[in-house]
Amino acid sequence: MGEAQELFDRILLAQRRNNVAASAGDHAFLLERVALDFADRLAGIKRTFPVGLNLGAFNGVLSRHLRSCERIGMLVDVELSVEMARQCDGPCVVADEEFLPFSDGTLDLVLSGLSLQLVNDLPGVLIQIFRSLKADGLLLASMLGGETLKELRHAWLIAEDEIYGGASPRVAPFANLRDVGSLLQRAGFALPVVDLDRVQVTYSSPLALMQELKGMGASNILNARLKKPVTRALLQRVCEVYHQCYGLDDGRVSATFDIVNMTAWVPHSSQQQPLKPGTAHARLADALGVKEMPAGEKARR
Amino acid sequence: MSNRERVTAVSEKNSPQGVTQQSDESIVDPKLLELLVCPLTKTRLIYNAQTKELISKAAGVAFPIRKGIPLMTPDAARQLDGDEK
Repeated sequence: MGEAQELFDRILLAQRRNNVAASAGDHAFLLERVALDFADRLAGIKRTFPVGLNLGAFNGVLSRHLRSCERIGMLVDVELSVEMARQCDGPCVVADEEFLPFSDGTLDLVLSGLSLQLVNDLPGVLIQIFRSLKADGLLLASMLGGETLKELRHAWLIAEDEIYGGASPRVAPFANLRDVGSLLQRAGFALPVVDLDRVQVTYSSPLALMQELKGMGASNILNARLKKPVTRALLQRVCEVYHQCYGLDDGRVSATFDIVNMTAWVPHSSQQQPLKPGTAHARLADALGVKEMPAGEKARR
Repeated sequence: MSNRERVTAVSEKNSPQGVTQQSDESIVDPKLLELLVCPLTKTRLIYNAQTKELISKAAGVAFPIRKGIPLMTPDAARQLDGDEK
């Protein structure tokens, strides 16, 4: 029985990131946004985190923003690409998110900015994160999800279908909000909160968007990708379709990035718990100012 | 998983004089080393200061440390020879 092929080529991802590491800072605007958002969210949490991880550290931009936070002690950058890791300025480990080198119950905080959308086994990674955290430890992560790059996906699909009579996978599939919430619960996390931050970015042309993605080291790493070069005619048609469908009045084009934010805790007795059914001290009917009915009976209109 | 243990640093008493003087950028934060376990087996690692490697006996591999950064990916690991195990 053959092994099912993995979705992403993670070795290729490391190579792509190595190649763009030198200028990674020029293409980190989404991560900077995530960093500011994380700083905001952590500001509202009144506790300290002596040991934290930043999973998928990219060039360390997220940690640079968050190391100034007094409540975080040691923040360790974990990055797949060696060249990216060399750009990080704090304690740093080269590791794959799918093979975390941390023992059980040692961490107080796991941060992750825009990297979990590229793992093959998200449920497995969440379980590994859960185990490496202490009781009452916090996971604060964002990943690209939802309708991210829907315009580019659509343009490639139309153009390839017209020219080749069929489409190949160009833009990775992304998880939706609801799936992420249930995966967090399945991994064992308590109090999971998932929200979406939609960022609309405009570019001078579809090519400029593709250049930016390349600069992020985010070019296609799908194992099922078409491994032959893109012809000039195909690329031209992609740009035409993109302009036609998603062009703006000023000649620029728009691209969607959906950032899925997740906050979840390892269960601890100090966290709020639901009461047992039947232990309420006040009636719901009193609070609503209505007459109480036995269960199953229809309210009269 | 009760067999998950922490890294223990091996003392450098066997290393020849001078080897302990490392250049600044090759020094790994000892607090960081304490956190690490083998990514494949989640068991403890032994730090070899001479070869600058983290050795996982359980997996039979050694993870190199380059310029102060431990390389803990499965493809960076070196298979241990028979007598190293």
